[in-house]
Amino acid sequence: MTASTITAPGRADHARDLGAAYARVAHAAARATRAQPAALAHTGIHYLIVAVAISSLWTRAASGHGGTIVGYRADALVWYLAATEVTAIAPPLRLIDRLGADVATGRFELELLRPAPAVWIRVAAELGTAMPRTAVCTALGAGLALGVGGAPASLAALALAGPALLFGVALTVVAQHLLAAASFWLRDSRASWFLYQKLQFTLGGLVLPLEVLPGGMGRVARFTPFAAMSYAPGRLASGHLEPGWLLAQIGWLAVLGLVTARVFAAGERHLGGGEP
Amino acid sequence: MTASPSLSSSLRRAAGADQTGAAAVIAVADLRRTFSAGRRRNRRTIEAVRGVTFTVEPGERLAFIGPNGAGKSTSIKMLTGLLRPSAGTVRVLGLEPWSERRALSRRIGTLFGQRSLLWGELPARTSLATLGAIHGIDRSGLGRRIDELGELLEATHLFDQAVRTLSLGQRMRCELAAALLHRPQLLFLDEPTIGLDLLAKQRFREVLVRLNTEHGTTVFLTSHDVADVEHVAARAVIVNHGTVIHDSPVAALRRNLLTAKRIEVGLARALTVPEARAALGPDIGPVTPLGSAPGRGEEAPVDGIAIDVDTRRQAIGEVLDRVLQRLAVADVSVADPPLETVIGEIYARPAATPAAGPGPHAGGAP
Amino acid sequence: MRTQRRRRAIVAALRGLGAVWRTAWAEALANRRSFVVQMTVMMVNDLVWIFFWQVFFRRVGSVRGWTVDDMMVLYAILALAAGLVLGALANLRWLGPLVANGDLDSALALPVDPLGFLALRQVSPVNVGDLVFGIGLFLWLGHPTPARLALLAVATAASVAVLAGFLALLGSLAFLPGTAGAGELGLSAVIVFSSYPTDLFGGALRLALFAVVPAALVGSLPAELVQHPSPAGLAGLAGGAAAFAGAGWLSFRLGLRRYTSGAAWTAL
Repeated sequence: MTASTITAPGRADHARDLGAAYARVAHAAARATRAQPAALAHTGIHYLIVAVAISSLWTRAASGHGGTIVGYRADALVWYLAATEVTAIAPPLRLIDRLGADVATGRFELELLRPAPAVWIRVAAELGTAMPRTAVCTALGAGLALGVGGAPASLAALALAGPALLFGVALTVVAQHLLAAASFWLRDSRASWFLYQKLQFTLGGLVLPLEVLPGGMGRVARFTPFAAMSYAPGRLASGHLEPGWLLAQIGWLAVLGLVTARVFAAGERHLGGGEP
Repeated sequence: MTASPSLSSSLRRAAGADQTGAAAVIAVADLRRTFSAGRRRNRRTIEAVRGVTFTVEPGERLAFIGPNGAGKSTSIKMLTGLLRPSAGTVRVLGLEPWSERRALSRRIGTLFGQRSLLWGELPARTSLATLGAIHGIDRSGLGRRIDELGELLEATHLFDQAVRTLSLGQRMRCELAAALLHRPQLLFLDEPTIGLDLLAKQRFREVLVRLNTEHGTTVFLTSHDVADVEHVAARAVIVNHGTVIHDSPVAALRRNLLTAKRIEVGLARALTVPEARAALGPDIGPVTPLGSAPGRGEEAPVDGIAIDVDTRRQAIGEVLDRVLQRLAVADVSVADPPLETVIGEIYARPAATPAAGPGPHAGGAP
Repeated sequence: MRTQRRRRAIVAALRGLGAVWRTAWAEALANRRSFVVQMTVMMVNDLVWIFFWQVFFRRVGSVRGWTVDDMMVLYAILALAAGLVLGALANLRWLGPLVANGDLDSALALPVDPLGFLALRQVSPVNVGDLVFGIGLFLWLGHPTPARLALLAVATAASVAVLAGFLALLGSLAFLPGTAGAGELGLSAVIVFSSYPTDLFGGALRLALFAVVPAALVGSLPAELVQHPSPAGLAGLAGGAAAFAGAGWLSFRLGLRRYTSGAAWTAL
């Protein structure tokens, strides 16, 4: 992508060129990830360890309660957890740490010299990296759920779980970029990473369906982006035909995308000495 | 400083290391090490060291040099007990290194490249005290020893700063202090000057020489830098492809082999090589283009040239004068020849003067 | 005479290793603020898990005979063991990379036991947070009595021995070619599975959690010893601890022999 094509006349041309640039970056990142089968296998095994452990806990709990707990049958819980754990394990590792460090050390500043918006080039690359990882974890998760849980309760809902997983992973990537932006002002984003993990863990329903959360917490959690990240694909995979979750995911992607763009613009102005 | 032994006597001593090796601090006879590399079908055997023999007398300053992959590191690992030889005998301070490694480690000091023994967040003094405790040095003796080393290495002020904040050169002096805590008779250094800037290298080399001349510590260092040999060692052993191809005092080496300097000139105005040669005069050494694509022929003008000077025939200053007067110079530097060139020279003249002739095992060289 | 000299050598060696450990702690504490922050982060992390277990058991009551009380003891022991092994003996976790990067050489050049030296020379503040959390958790929700505290100490010691031995075993894999990455997966497997009651798992997996990835010996069995002490439980745990600690030590020694014999060298 050269500067001249970017500044070509016409907004539509510009947008198309940018889109092509993002696609190319994402494609290259995906190819680089696929080129390391050992690392992909590592991700897959790690996913299986976590998914087997947590799904064993919940299926035993359900079978101790006559087969159903908080409205989920044991097999539905396996499908649920297999899906939510994909959104925890498949996104690229230490994203907030890496981006935060690059912002704090000034490496990110150099990327601002490029003609395309630096943050979206980064998002595209991380999404590209995430895709093969998501594919591996999803395949293993489906295998685990079929083997341990059994046939899915609703094929239609399961069909929606596929895009929901992709949107969920995309949401984690955008949200992590947003939190890493703390480095513009704090020079350190490790606390953001930590905060993010804990919020996804609890409000995202990563290891327990939101219905289990005490009091109104579960109801509130449904209206956070974390629920859209993890709970949404879990809910669909466990046989609940609730297409509204896909809309919620798209909505949150739009909102977080907008906020991220604003925050990075402010951060870049901050780097530039406060001048717009 | 004792003169290095003649080859025949070192051979004799190495062969009978067990009987007469008491005087030698290192006696190596026909040392060999093979590795097998590759998996199953294409497994092959690599001879990293193939028949190295030499002895080192107390108080010597010896540089064990060779290009990457020559067998230097493998050899120093066998001398310090980290690696068991495939064949041959080694005695270091009368001990067999690999079977008596712990006992040997109490009597030798080692500095392996850039590997650190120090705790980064703490002042070096704390690390030195800890390593002193490992060596079993009592507390009062330890304090005195650290002061002594601070003075010797001009590092007293460094000992109280967090190691992390030191420059590489400063840190290497602290690492050296750690290697010397227990007053070793013999110091092994594996590529100690790698990565140091020019000034730090020079300072480190001076310290090694002083350690040797003032305290009598035997110094054995490996390097692939010709300057380390010139500025530290009194004796040079050159290895290539796992064999010793040269063993002589450095003075002899300098007289016979380190006779070339290379002047690199960046030109303010591009010239062809023949033009440059004509400008410099017919008695100048070989002139070659710098950094240009080969195969373009001599007729293409270039931005830089290299001149190889034989310092036995021509003073380097005289050639430099001529370069500065007759060419439009943008930049100029003088360098030692790379080790590979020196080694090429050794192979090129098999029957030089006896003192600087190839070692007894040169026959095995390819 | 000889035994006396031997004893003196052992005392001197222990004194040296003690100095190394003190220095490692001093280094971890050198930046006091960062130490506290990192510790706190881990403690909040542990707290979120406690929240999870509390919510879970409030809804479920018990699972396969495990109650919330059992689970709190399990988590306390796991936190203590992780704190002591991953925190205070931090390098055991990085043994593989240390071996692969040649850091072993500098340890071998010292008159000291190389495994002990490497294990003790670094303290990780993050996991020290686990240590503090484990103590706090047991005092808070573990129904502490002097007898139970004594049992906790024994159970934790066994858990530490198993975990340390297992990490040494994993690290020693680095002496063999083509085992990169196994260490990290092994660690995540043992930590993840030991934070759940082993009774949840059946078949081959259950067997593996005793014999291959000893998660059962790190979490569940020590917790059962505190909750339902029995001579058989103690004997089983002690046997497992001795087996894994011994296997870790032995594998490192064998690996070291392979290393110095040059067989571990794939390149020059």
